[in-house]
Amino acid sequence: MKAVAVSDFCFSYPGAGGVAAAVADAAAAAGDGGAAACGHAGAGGVLLDGVSFALEQGSFTVLVGDTGSGKTTLLRSVKPELAPVGKRSGTIEVWGRDTTALGVRESAEAVGYVFSSPENQIVCDLVFHELAFGLENLGVAPDEMRRRVAEVAHFFGIEPWMHAPTASLSGGQKQMVALAGVLVMQPRVLLLDEPTAQLDPVAERNFLHALFRINRELGITVVVATHAPEAVAAYATGALCLAQGHVEPVELGSLAPADGLPDAGGLSGAGGLPGADGPPVAVPQATTAPGAADPACGRGDGRSSRDGAGDPRPRRAGRLRDGVGAAVSFRDLFFRYAQDAPWVLRGLDLDVAPGTIHAIIGGNGSGKSTLLQVAAGILKPQRGKVANGLSSAQALLPQDPLSLFVCDTVGDELREWQKCCGYSEDELEDMTGRLGLGALAGQHPCDLSGGQQQKLALAKLALTRPALLLLDEPTKGLDAALKCAIGALLVELREAGATVILATHDLSFVSQVSDTATMVFDGQRACTEPTADFFSRNLFYRPQPDGFRHLWQRQQAAGKNGDGAAGAMAGPAASTPASGGPAAVVDDPAPTPDDPAATPAAAGKRADGGLP
Amino acid sequence: MRPGGAVQQSDGQQAGRPGDGRRPRGAHAFDLVHPAVVLGCFAAILALTMLAIHPVFLALSFSAAFSFSLYARGWRPSLRTLAWQAPLVLLCALVNPLFSGAGSTELFRIASRTVFVEGVAFGACMGLMLAAALLWFSNAALVLTSDKVLGVLGGLLPTVGLMVSMTMRLVPQLVERGRLIESALKAASSARAHTGVEGVAGRVRQVSVLMGWSLEDSLETADAMRARAWGATRRRTTYVRHRFRRFDCAAAAVCLALGAASAVLAWVACVHYRFYPVMGSLGPWWGYLPFALFVSLPLLLCLVDDARWKKVC
Repeated sequence: MKAVAVSDFCFSYPGAGGVAAAVADAAAAAGDGGAAACGHAGAGGVLLDGVSFALEQGSFTVLVGDTGSGKTTLLRSVKPELAPVGKRSGTIEVWGRDTTALGVRESAEAVGYVFSSPENQIVCDLVFHELAFGLENLGVAPDEMRRRVAEVAHFFGIEPWMHAPTASLSGGQKQMVALAGVLVMQPRVLLLDEPTAQLDPVAERNFLHALFRINRELGITVVVATHAPEAVAAYATGALCLAQGHVEPVELGSLAPADGLPDAGGLSGAGGLPGADGPPVAVPQATTAPGAADPACGRGDGRSSRDGAGDPRPRRAGRLRDGVGAAVSFRDLFFRYAQDAPWVLRGLDLDVAPGTIHAIIGGNGSGKSTLLQVAAGILKPQRGKVANGLSSAQALLPQDPLSLFVCDTVGDELREWQKCCGYSEDELEDMTGRLGLGALAGQHPCDLSGGQQQKLALAKLALTRPALLLLDEPTKGLDAALKCAIGALLVELREAGATVILATHDLSFVSQVSDTATMVFDGQRACTEPTADFFSRNLFYRPQPDGFRHLWQRQQAAGKNGDGAAGAMAGPAASTPASGGPAAVVDDPAPTPDDPAATPAAAGKRADGGLP
Repeated sequence: MRPGGAVQQSDGQQAGRPGDGRRPRGAHAFDLVHPAVVLGCFAAILALTMLAIHPVFLALSFSAAFSFSLYARGWRPSLRTLAWQAPLVLLCALVNPLFSGAGSTELFRIASRTVFVEGVAFGACMGLMLAAALLWFSNAALVLTSDKVLGVLGGLLPTVGLMVSMTMRLVPQLVERGRLIESALKAASSARAHTGVEGVAGRVRQVSVLMGWSLEDSLETADAMRARAWGATRRRTTYVRHRFRRFDCAAAAVCLALGAASAVLAWVACVHYRFYPVMGSLGPWWGYLPFALFVSLPLLLCLVDDARWKKVC
């Protein structure tokens, strides 16, 4: 008997596109489904068209597909309580029983479902109560309940925080509690919808490892839907790809990064050692207006030695002497959240040069987010000084982008600040095009997936033309193509003179996009170096090659080969953030990350077309 | 500065174990007893304090409450409490005679109003009662955390217990989000420079963001609940953390015996005692012994636990 057997399953939302968003039942799926209906499925809004597959007991399957291809809809259809409202045909069987015939109790004990948001799927205020929630619903006797909760808590190592309020947990811990809260009902099939999209890489690895143990040690059949399969692929036993309403099996090998070795030479292809590119050039800040291309550190001199790696970045990572000319400078910062709380920042000094992309990296709890909020003036340090010359024209992308959304549609959202900031309709069009927001214009921001919300928030902030852009985990939940689009946007903002500070775990993104990297550790700055030097000297903290890096380097190469696009990017021509698009900008709403052949070519074509 | 919510959740909490916050001194001793007994004991003390308007009972209750506060919270916070409670008692003592003209021992006259000692004494007793009751409430809150109260409540009314638990999660979340939204807008000065988001419009915007956000989340929370068998049975069960053991029976019996004795003696004392027109005699000292013991129980429990550790070390 197959664990899950889907045969000839078809599904379409009532009406097409945005109408589905109104169906409360399918709220979370609607962002997915609606996008697909507008995006490419097209005809009659049929999202799933004859899907057939079967999963063996004890298998670990990755379900890949673009944002909006209907992964969520398919997963939800397997769980009767979550099945979206719409027209369906065909059958879905779990352990030989049709899912529509399952009662609430049978369903809970047959199929577990984990959502992507760690915040929303937690119901109760304390961890142990959250674990017991499902069992309480089933009316399990207290002694049996205690046993099952104990087992699960032990398996996941939750004991130390059994009595903690759920609100005090980190995202990774919350997701682990959510997973445990499902497993406590002992389902034999576990469905997970983008379970790690909102987690940092460390938490992601922990979570996936827990999944792996569940699968291999307990024999539970696992299905993970994701658009970023690199990390999951290592644990999976099989992969399915959902595209154009059909499901096809794919080779696991094609999901994993092509070259398995870490990026040994950092970014400089020719010589990985610091100094190979010549001494770092200090930017004479006092005389140079932010944004004007500085001849001393322009492309010409830096690139010749490392064009093999396709790194178009100038050495603008200046070491500022004593903070003179810095866009933002921190001196001797001490910060804690409460009098009896531990110090988060203790004696942190940092200068951020104007017109650069400055990455702040570090582990959980190292104070990255706190530093950004101190820079933005939201938090006041208990000691030390923040000199932020750009505080009147700054924008902060918070960890949770929902805190920026007011309007009922994506289009209105992007226009909220149009009157006061005076960006034109063309700029807006340009921005929606490049981030693939055009197809979503009619949707409610809350109906978007996490990644889509992230890019909407970024677009909204970027349109205000901030001189200082502070980003907290900007690439969380995004697929490779979108990361490229956001990378290109940041580079363009920098060329227009903006200073960008981003706090992130995404080393691969940092290695390709930022000029300078700072590692914070234990509330202090461990080091600040130009990105290439930073990564070439790091032993443990190195970017892993992933889909994003491949795509980005290809796009950069395509842009350069185009017609000297890189020069155009650096030039003052690209002076406004949203006009005069640089090369490599992806405006396809959802290019296929697992189909690398198609996207770069398309991007290259567009780059050619878009340039003067 | 307020503890900083989301940031702290993701960043700060890694340092220590979450939920491992500092507990007030003595709270651990109360883990030894079933929360229902603790709850009952504090409730009885509170009830007796509020019903027995008798100078000795009130003085006993207040001094027991204050010494427990000294033990659990330390002298500085306790004195700070006293700093506003003493004027409260004084105020009651002074105001009462203005409303009640009864009494026999004249102190002085204000205009046509005579102020009697008895009036002042009754006012002072009422003030003391208020102060003692408030102190007991704060003492109970120190050792009876919400999860303990819920544990008792959830056993009796599972659905109410769950509702309270969900509320306990949602309210702080809502407050925290309000703060996040405000700071997100404050930080976006590139947009704010041109808008007048302060004032009413800004508040309306903030509330609308908050509503949208929470509604959206609640849909997914509802899905998560249904995916975990919400509504599978009519009769939900409750995860029981605390079992009622023999020790709890004994503790409950002691509390009950002392409480009942105190109640009877308090009733007798109150019937025989009066403030007006002349304050009565206080009766024999042993009549207050059970109550004195009863109100000292919380502190005694802590001290016994302390003594045990002193012996071990």
